[in-house]
Amino acid sequence: MRTEAIDPPGINWQRVSPKYVTVRLVQWAIGNLVTVIVLTLPLISVLLGWWRWPPLWLAITVPAVTLVLAIWRLLLIPRQVRAIGYAERDDDLLIRGGIFFQRTMTVPYGRMQYVDIGVGPVERGLGLCTLKLHTASPGTNATIPGLPAAEGARLREQLAARGEARLAGL
Amino acid sequence: MTANVPEAGAPTAVPVAPDGEWLRVHPASPFVRGWVALAAIGFFFGRDFFERLLQGRPLFEEDFAGRAPWLVAGGGIVLVVTVLGFILTWYFTKYQVAEGYVRVNSGFLFRQQRQARLDRVQAIDIVQPLLARIFGLAELKFEVADAGESAVKLAYLRMDDARQLRATILARAAGVVPDPARPQEAAPEAPEYPVLSVPPSRLIGSLLLSEQSFFVVVGGIASVILSVVTDNRGFFFYLIPAVLGLAASYWGSFNKGYNFTAAISPDGIRLRYGLLDTQAQTLPPGRVQALKVAQSPLWRIFGWYRIQVNVAGYGAVGSNGETASRTTLLPVGKLPDVMSMLALVLPDPGTPEPGRIFAAGISGLDSDGGFVTTPHRGRFLAPLGWRRNGFATTDTALLLRSGRWWRELVVVPHQRTQSMALHQGPLARRFGVADLVLHTTAGPVSPRLTQAGLDEARALFDAQSARARLARKRQTSEHWLATVVPAPVVEPAPVVEPVETPVVESVETSAPQQTPQQEGPQRG
Repeated sequence: MRTEAIDPPGINWQRVSPKYVTVRLVQWAIGNLVTVIVLTLPLISVLLGWWRWPPLWLAITVPAVTLVLAIWRLLLIPRQVRAIGYAERDDDLLIRGGIFFQRTMTVPYGRMQYVDIGVGPVERGLGLCTLKLHTASPGTNATIPGLPAAEGARLREQLAARGEARLAGL
Repeated sequence: MTANVPEAGAPTAVPVAPDGEWLRVHPASPFVRGWVALAAIGFFFGRDFFERLLQGRPLFEEDFAGRAPWLVAGGGIVLVVTVLGFILTWYFTKYQVAEGYVRVNSGFLFRQQRQARLDRVQAIDIVQPLLARIFGLAELKFEVADAGESAVKLAYLRMDDARQLRATILARAAGVVPDPARPQEAAPEAPEYPVLSVPPSRLIGSLLLSEQSFFVVVGGIASVILSVVTDNRGFFFYLIPAVLGLAASYWGSFNKGYNFTAAISPDGIRLRYGLLDTQAQTLPPGRVQALKVAQSPLWRIFGWYRIQVNVAGYGAVGSNGETASRTTLLPVGKLPDVMSMLALVLPDPGTPEPGRIFAAGISGLDSDGGFVTTPHRGRFLAPLGWRRNGFATTDTALLLRSGRWWRELVVVPHQRTQSMALHQGPLARRFGVADLVLHTTAGPVSPRLTQAGLDEARALFDAQSARARLARKRQTSEHWLATVVPAPVVEPAPVVEPVETPVVESVETSAPQQTPQQEGPQRG
């Protein structure tokens, strides 16, 4: 993986499974296609002469813009999935994500309160899981999606063991 | 106030709970808590009577004799059921302090048993609503770090008992082992040394100079102009609810902030405030997760500041004003007050010249006090704030400075950082800057370093991880008497007047020419 500008240098990033693209595609389809279809309804009504409002140009523009945005988001998905990475360091876990709006987060093992593993229906079909770390701060939004189930279980055990070894108070 | 305590053979008459003994709260407490219910019953059944009294009609209708038994029976049953409920609630609510835990059992239909570890205490509050205050009762709130409801809430105890229980809990939490020879003996209440108080005149001034007042004035002028232009007086009536709401809001702030005093004791920082409802908070040492010193443009006229803190048990500031007042460490104070409070929160500032650095953080620009600001290339992203947005580090804390007009200084002790993230959007990448966000527990302070130079941000990201790791290693015990940081028990005296105390420890010797008021953040 290409090291982005804000990442600390010399990190060997672990990638998430490429199959996670499928999960994101399903999420994309549910979110965006439904919106586009709903926004297309006025256009159909206008074309069939049922409605007099909105004018034709508006009825075309709104779903068209939404569709373009949706396709833009669709094209970004593979790159976004490739941009997700995590790295286990000696004392903390690094998580990065994002292409345009990048984020690199460090969660010290001693600060972890608990670790969640979540599996959605699509993820279950693909043998993936989502790992979520919780600290005492609600701002810690540390999620690693699209992990293979075995890797997720290994990481959870690893994090739990390291967290116990380095547990600190609040 | 205790003179008014209703005489009752309460179990709370025992001055101190020996370990393991289950105690009950004061028997009057359900009535104090549920007076609204009693008042409602009284209102429901007495309304008719009072209306007749006021209208001068005969007190009893002709057919009253027929209805009277039903009325009396109905009212009596409701009253008996309510009072019985009160008594049962009281009877089944018991608490115990033993073996490092505080336990509370409550409820008679749905029983609840709750226990909280003493050494996980984040804060202890003693709250006295007006009615409880009249009866000399107080509520004790024991907070642990779940940022939700209070872990343990005991309402109500006699004021002396509440203070005694607080002293016991704090002593156990600090790691004081009860004398095995005399386990019955009460933990002595830790001595207090007053640090500062906010005079009422300053509180009123701060309310008058708040942003809210600014909008009130602007709104008032706008409505006068509108009424002149449109020649319509009618819409003044629409302002009445707004005025009532504003009055309630001002009154709430005044009632909460009245007579604010801060003191230091070996148990931690003590805050007291309130006009009708009084509250006494105790923040044990090292429980402040993050701190913010803020100054609005209007307050700059008199050099006033406000300090807010994140404490794990208090949680986020929601819609209710209670959390807002509990997370306020100083409602309004001048620079020396701010420095004293900083000294209390950060006994070891981790720098030889704390006065200069904190003063630079509060009002400085550019590289005063060793702050690293937004690089010159990023000035278009923050045309006003770029000279102020910056950070400085000491051995114990990270200081984040921001805001040219709405000045802010955020202080995060290294061992309190939970996690961190670097953020960079497309525009920031274009200018080669990045934001660093520190995550702390829920509260009014959200530390964020905006638009730091990319190299500086990355270096800080690494260095801060390392510093937080070191600080965590040094701080190993939750018992604050046992921690490496020397307990304030040894020498609480210097804090009495930290503003004028020149030297507390050797750290100060390097800057003898400082003005006294800048010497706040020392250990004490």
